[in-house]
Amino acid sequence: MSQPLIEAQNLTKHYGKTIALHDVDMRVRAGITGLLGPNGAGKSTAMKLFLGLLRPTAGAATVLGEAPYDNVAIRMRLGYMPEHDCLPDFLTASEFLSHMAQVSGIPPKHARTRAADMLRHVGLDEERYRHLREYSTGMKQRVKLAQALVHDPVMVLLDEPTAGLDPAGREEMLGLVRRTGQEFGINIMLSSHLMGDVESTCDRIIVIEGGSIIEQGDVSEFTQETETFYIDVDDRREELIAALQDLGIQSRIAGASVAVRLRSEDQLDDIRDALAQTQARLRRLAPSRGELSDIFRRNTG
Amino acid sequence: MSQAQAEIYDLGYQHYDGPRGGRTQAFRSLWVNSFRTILGLGRGGRAKVLPALMALFVIAPPAVLLVLAAMLPVAEQVSHADLYTLTSMLLLLFSAIIAPELLIPDRRNRVTTLYLVRPLTAFDYVIARWSAFLTVTLLVTLFGQVLVLIANSLAAEQARAFLQENWLDIPRFILAGVIITVFVTTIPMAVAAFTERRAYAAAFVIAAFVITTPMSGLLTTEWCESSVTFAVENGEVVEEAGAEECRRVTGDYAKWFVLLDVGRAPTHLADMIFDDDTPDDASILVAELPPAVPIAWYGLLVIGPGALLLWRYRRMSI
Repeated sequence: MSQPLIEAQNLTKHYGKTIALHDVDMRVRAGITGLLGPNGAGKSTAMKLFLGLLRPTAGAATVLGEAPYDNVAIRMRLGYMPEHDCLPDFLTASEFLSHMAQVSGIPPKHARTRAADMLRHVGLDEERYRHLREYSTGMKQRVKLAQALVHDPVMVLLDEPTAGLDPAGREEMLGLVRRTGQEFGINIMLSSHLMGDVESTCDRIIVIEGGSIIEQGDVSEFTQETETFYIDVDDRREELIAALQDLGIQSRIAGASVAVRLRSEDQLDDIRDALAQTQARLRRLAPSRGELSDIFRRNTG
Repeated sequence: MSQAQAEIYDLGYQHYDGPRGGRTQAFRSLWVNSFRTILGLGRGGRAKVLPALMALFVIAPPAVLLVLAAMLPVAEQVSHADLYTLTSMLLLLFSAIIAPELLIPDRRNRVTTLYLVRPLTAFDYVIARWSAFLTVTLLVTLFGQVLVLIANSLAAEQARAFLQENWLDIPRFILAGVIITVFVTTIPMAVAAFTERRAYAAAFVIAAFVITTPMSGLLTTEWCESSVTFAVENGEVVEEAGAEECRRVTGDYAKWFVLLDVGRAPTHLADMIFDDDTPDDASILVAELPPAVPIAWYGLLVIGPGALLLWRYRRMSI
């Protein structure tokens, strides 16, 4: 197995008495990895530790095989898109990207070409000579992504790339992230508090909450593992839940439905029997692919 | 006749396999960016007004001298130290306005974050910005001094002989220029590191220097009294002027209080370098102190703010 891009062992970061990250172990392989967690979970702190901007309180991390703290050389191979605004409004996108490429170590002549290429890839070719102050939020997000990629990094860390975007802009940004990973071959770590973003974009997921990792693995494993059936009945829901319980099937009320997490296909026969036994009027019985939100429910009760 | 078919290929994403300059390239590009920012290059006309005014105010006095020296048969010579005394406050004024342009927009727009995740340390960032500022200021300053040298040599009876006799002025005015420009660039940069508003940074620096000058002047004011004696000669009262006695408000401590005028700290060293034979009141007082004192005072005024500037960026959370 190839060396992980990022590896953390007992990684801990305290800000005074506040514990931002506690005893984190993770291995990030090539591809797109999602760092999922609510605000304040420690995602941005983890990214800053991997970028070498913060010194860990305890534990250690390696990024591209090297310790990142104060390691200037490693930053030539990393890209970073911060969550917050970070664009100088008095420059054009072309000037800004060219400058960022040069500050990443690329000579001026090549930097201008890279800037033009990247703006084309993020769909801002026509707008490249406009001042950044004239850009919409969606366009600014794309420039932020472009600056993270302009020096052709091995890996890019994207902190909440869809923050502040409307649904259409969010879809566009996620599409760009997928292209960056799949077509450009650049490894990505994406942080988000939105499960949909991670689910639709990432190959792997690391769920983080309160500074600790709750789960990590392939997204497909999670969604498969949490395959759920929804039973919509007009009446006798409580009786149905009790009957399912008698047959050894755990269920819960989910909106207007009774949700059942299936362990095996044989349990579908048990559901049929429970429905027959309780005489509940069945409106719908449908499988629903599990969602990452199930992970939170499972871990936070 | 066959016609070649033109086709457009989308090459897709191309990985970069050209040269990478690393930290040195990163530093150089930030330095060039700072240099261009100071001069307003690549920006609108308004951005060029301030550097143009700075150059004009600093270079105009020696340029006028040069014209007079060229036109008049015998012209007055001007000392390099006097020009520094005249221009250092102007330089400080312009530096107070220009320095915030180098640091504050980056912090306010949070572009600093993007610099610090590239092959640059916080130290590199500050040094690149400051050294570009120092270079521009030093070039303007030295240009004025070169004009003075030319004007003085033209004003002399024999220009060649004058230059042979006074060639040591060249390393002197270069050294004094470095001392003055390090001072006038470091303090405004340090102040700009602690505020988000350019006007506040500029106003603070200007106010600090404007206030300390009269404060020092008041504390070192000299009072002179002359005694008058009356005598009767041949039946007439004759008034005789006695010896004039001068003393300063703060007595012997005046030589210390003169240091309060922080804007003069670098020009005191310039006076020492040129061994100025026409010193002003402040220089006379400073000359009473051991030479190590004004040197240490200057060092403190430069190293203190410089260290604060580096500390601020080292501790900056992004």
